[in-house]
Amino acid sequence: MNSRRLAGGTPTGAMIWEIWGRHKVDFLWQGVALAASACFVYWKMHGASKNFGELLGLASFCCFLVAYLHLLVCFSYLEFDARRVQPGFPGRLLLKPVSTARLVLVPMLFGGAVVVTVFALWTGLVLPHLSALNVASLLWISTVLLSLFWWLQALEWSLPWLKARSVILLLVVVIHLLVLVLPQLPADISSAWQWGILTALLASAVPTAWMGLTLMRQGRWEGPARLALLGSRLRPARVRGGCPPFGSAFGAQFWLEWRRQGWVLPGVWAVLALLVVPLQLVGFKWGGVDDPSPAAIWGLMLGLPLVLSVVWGHALAKFDLFQPMNELPGYIAVRPLTNGGFVVAKLAMALVASVFTWLVTAVAVGLCLALVGAGTLFSPAGLVTPLGPVAYLTGCAPMALLLVLWTWKNLVAGMGAGLTGRPWIIKLFPVWRLTVVFGLGALVIAARTYVNFQAALVGWLTVILSVCLAAKLVVALAAFAWGLRRHAITARAIGWIAGGWLIGGLFVAAYADRVCHMIQRPDLWLWLALGGFLILPLADLALAPLALAWNRHR
Amino acid sequence: MQLRISVQDGAPIYQQIVEQVKYLVAAGRLKPGDDVPPIRALAEQLRINPNTVARAYLELERAGIVSMRQGFGTTVAQVKAPLPRREKLRLLAEPAEVLLTNAHHLNVSLEDVITLLRERDAAMQPESTQ
Amino acid sequence: MKFPSPSSAEAVIAVSGLSRQFGAKRALNDVSLFVSRGSVLGLVGENGAGKTTLIKHLLGSLRAQAGSVRVFGLDPVRDPVGVLGRVGYLSERRDLPGWMRVDEFMRYTQAFYPGWDPPYAAQLLAQFQLDPAQKIKTLSQGQQAKIGLLTALAYRPELLILDEPSSGLDPVVRRDILEAIIRLVAEEGRTVLFSSHLLDEVERVADHVIMLQQGRVVLNGRTEEVRGEHISAVLAFAEPQAQAPVLAGAHAISGFGSEWRVLFGGSHGELGAAAASMGARVVEERTPTLDEILVARAGGKGS
Repeated sequence: MNSRRLAGGTPTGAMIWEIWGRHKVDFLWQGVALAASACFVYWKMHGASKNFGELLGLASFCCFLVAYLHLLVCFSYLEFDARRVQPGFPGRLLLKPVSTARLVLVPMLFGGAVVVTVFALWTGLVLPHLSALNVASLLWISTVLLSLFWWLQALEWSLPWLKARSVILLLVVVIHLLVLVLPQLPADISSAWQWGILTALLASAVPTAWMGLTLMRQGRWEGPARLALLGSRLRPARVRGGCPPFGSAFGAQFWLEWRRQGWVLPGVWAVLALLVVPLQLVGFKWGGVDDPSPAAIWGLMLGLPLVLSVVWGHALAKFDLFQPMNELPGYIAVRPLTNGGFVVAKLAMALVASVFTWLVTAVAVGLCLALVGAGTLFSPAGLVTPLGPVAYLTGCAPMALLLVLWTWKNLVAGMGAGLTGRPWIIKLFPVWRLTVVFGLGALVIAARTYVNFQAALVGWLTVILSVCLAAKLVVALAAFAWGLRRHAITARAIGWIAGGWLIGGLFVAAYADRVCHMIQRPDLWLWLALGGFLILPLADLALAPLALAWNRHR
Repeated sequence: MQLRISVQDGAPIYQQIVEQVKYLVAAGRLKPGDDVPPIRALAEQLRINPNTVARAYLELERAGIVSMRQGFGTTVAQVKAPLPRREKLRLLAEPAEVLLTNAHHLNVSLEDVITLLRERDAAMQPESTQ
Repeated sequence: MKFPSPSSAEAVIAVSGLSRQFGAKRALNDVSLFVSRGSVLGLVGENGAGKTTLIKHLLGSLRAQAGSVRVFGLDPVRDPVGVLGRVGYLSERRDLPGWMRVDEFMRYTQAFYPGWDPPYAAQLLAQFQLDPAQKIKTLSQGQQAKIGLLTALAYRPELLILDEPSSGLDPVVRRDILEAIIRLVAEEGRTVLFSSHLLDEVERVADHVIMLQQGRVVLNGRTEEVRGEHISAVLAFAEPQAQAPVLAGAHAISGFGSEWRVLFGGSHGELGAAAASMGARVVEERTPTLDEILVARAGGKGS
């Protein structure tokens, strides 16, 4: 098909056609996800039982969320600039004989229109069946969404010299979240100002984007000269020649992993836990809203890092935040280090990141509890745990270790898939994981509803778990043996991985033993111990060096 | 010792070096006992492969122009060449053939070639004798 | 310094019968080459002839689909550490971590090679005039090539593989790089394999030349021998020729009327016989440069 005909022969048409052309396959998948979302709701409406219906509702919402976020990313019109190693406005478009206003308005208006339309369609057709939400608040939400979308575009395009880009982006997201909850606050404070604030945000997004693109077009990549000078004066003098060389290749690779990725999880969590949540609590106090209970705070603080680690773990297979996952950077691929060595460096980085994350959590919990007025971590209110204060005294430190282990497991479990570097595996792996999760969930629901099934399951559980564990061990041994033969992993690395798994499993088993005694259900112990050994990754990590070898030697 | 290497030239690089060194010795710019640069230094200076320089030096040693001593670099040998006359004429036979082939192609007579040889020989004599 | 003969020296690189296909396209077709210790091999060919693909096979980045690849007697896919620890590599696209500073990159690379020579690295740093505190993404192309070469040379590798080391660089930087390579070659036992479009560099520095064309080896031999196997001659025909005459053994022929320049693959005698059979005589003969040979064999017009 003649592209010129398709684009109508105008620059606007060409820009719109380019967005379509680049993301054809993505749009297809988003369409499928949205259709699935609608189908789930239809199924729920017509003849699903209550519990199953809730699950369907949740599935429908998840599909929509994933598809919608992906849509936002596609329409933000970003391209990765290899020279500056950052995403931004496609540089080649700045050289075309098109006015800056058109360059700004076409993606923003077109993108904004599509984003709002899809949202409106979904909320109009699907959402009423999931939960009741009045129209006025929907209008509010969609306008806030539009403002957020425009501001994200404006920030990503402009100011390529902005060093603290991620922090500012996060601030913008936080501001929009706060604006979103404005209608919920007591009427006398906010209603007069609501729409005013939102209109101001919307109105200032477009000029900011326009200004940013103009600066780029004028070649002022480094920002205002005075600002750059000020920045160079403020920056402390560089330390020259002070760093001793790394002791080993492992040390160097660990340093690289930490510098590039390790700090992301603790850093993002620190911002959320030490900044956003306390600010929200302060806001609640100021707004006169009831404080959340300490139990809620504990739940949030303990649950959110785990969720974040699952999300972040997907990207851990990369060697650089900004590179797509399929590529092994050249300067890493030619280093004389075994694939197992690269994997072990990543594992070590994940462990250190987990430890830091939970240290941040400890501080954050103390801060939040103090803000809420429930005393500190060690006061009576802070001792509210699901199992009572006695458990707190005997289980605190091992509990923390357990959480660290769990976070680490979330981070590294999916690494092998990403390391293969094959796009189809990388795309299919989350689908596989979701299938497993839904499958297990369905199993649990079935067990709760059908008593016979539950009895049978309970009878066979030990055998099932043992068989799974045996299979895991067989796969791991085979993978290690093959890796040794192919020089993909050293015996030392195998020792670390297998030893770590064993120690972790034993720790979980011991902790489970203590917990079982405490709750007086000693029959659960075997299942918990076997489950611990099963959940901790061994076969995954044994296959990871082979996956990397498959990527490194194509 | 200043040499010029041309890649465009038909002759292999080592041969160009050999020819130029022979010329320098014949023209008196390199006297017996002078030091010729070590292989590595000349290779870096001309930006060519050290093996090529080594090969050139080997040829020059075989022709009796330089003598290589381990650890002392290379030096120009004494003028009295140890080669017998028969050997020297054999070495000159090939360049002579090339000269005569070119002369034949250009339709230049033998007498003109001899005149040319006399002129070039006169130009090559050291300044002191002119 | 000795001239390594094929039988006496061990083969540092031994590729035999290598073939590689990317989908429908044949990138390498039955390629064989042997590089002995201490020699310099120049790999030449047009863009897309398969040079980078061949080099990637030597590093283990690509698996041999047919045939075998051995570097230092080891398979780079089965034993990457054994091979890569003794190889210094500079890639065509430089492949450098833009976010690292120069001194950080040197420190990172140093950890992988026990043979890293810090005084030599410092000397190279001073000679290349690189600022250790600068981020690699802010360096110019020439400086990036220099830092790439520095981190490949500093541990004195036994084998140096360079993919287009001088591409996109100004003559001053090219001179520096060539000098650094020659200094490495002058040390005992170091082998160099480099691919380049700058054929006068290849002629100066390479002992052996291999020319790839559409994935096949079309020329393989010592530099002067390869040149010596070709003749660039001018043929004078009795009558003006209306179109380009077809001469057996000629790779390229160009000209007008009764005088035609031809790039001939063969000896002086064969040329004379071929010319005579066409009714022409040879008026001028010289040895062509590698440049002319490459262009002629690639299908361009001989000059």
